Amino acid sequence: MLLEQQADQSAAKSMSASLWLHLRYCPYCNRYAKQTVLIAEWAKAAATARASSDTALSEAAKQRMRERLAAAG
Amino acid sequence: MTPSIPVPAQWPDRYGDELYRFALSRVSDSETAEELVQETFLSALDGLATFRAEASERTWLFVILRRKIIDHYRRQARTTRVGLDEINEGGPTEADFFNPEDGHWTNSQTPVSWLNADAALEQQELHEILARCQERLPPQQGAVFAMRFVEELSAEEICQELGLSSANYWVIVHRAKLQLRRCLEKHGLGKN
Repeated sequence: MLLEQQADQSAAKSMSASLWLHLRYCPYCNRYAKQTVLIAEWAKAAATARASSDTALSEAAKQRMRERLAAAG
Repeated sequence: MTPSIPVPAQWPDRYGDELYRFALSRVSDSETAEELVQETFLSALDGLATFRAEASERTWLFVILRRKIIDHYRRQARTTRVGLDEINEGGPTEADFFNPEDGHWTNSQTPVSWLNADAALEQQELHEILARCQERLPPQQGAVFAMRFVEELSAEEICQELGLSSANYWVIVHRAKLQLRRCLEKHGLGKN
């Protein structure tokens, strides 16, 4: 949890120092620290890639939207 | 430059596809994405008088859609209780990952190396697996994770949107990441 707080710069300096020390001597924690950063980066990249895909709204959906807009306007 | 005058009847054709793709990149099903786009158009229509043309029509619609997506996450998060005790009911807890006696990783949950993660899986495949893993998170964790790491809202903004205390927020983020790591490894990451 401290890893997350440190990434958000919400951890106190003393906490960050003890986390740094812990990560030096805990290889698994160190590995996990890097993995959490990767997970966050991948989540953003995945969403960006999906938003740039060539998926399109169906014509039927567009027609429904036009009708709703006309009815509401 | 002459400010453009919004023509609502043209929105589905001019901006529908782009808004839909954006919505679909944030929610898991096409029906919800479609609803979000429709709600965006209707809200824009309601607020047409407030459109100042300082931003483009497209930018304005995207701002409205992003707000709709945050509202969607908030509804998603509220399908589960948010008290610290109740967080334990929303999926695995630290006890599933760490030895309660010394706080170290349990043998079965020790993080494996992802040294060749990018090589092991095609990027597209990695994105699909991550999306599936995100869908499997308990609703509240999924919403918090997406708001923080996809929408890039601050911890403070998320706590405000979801009515979470700071302590609850950090527990939720931590558990979401623990579960995502486990899920990714189950689906092939690190097994190379």
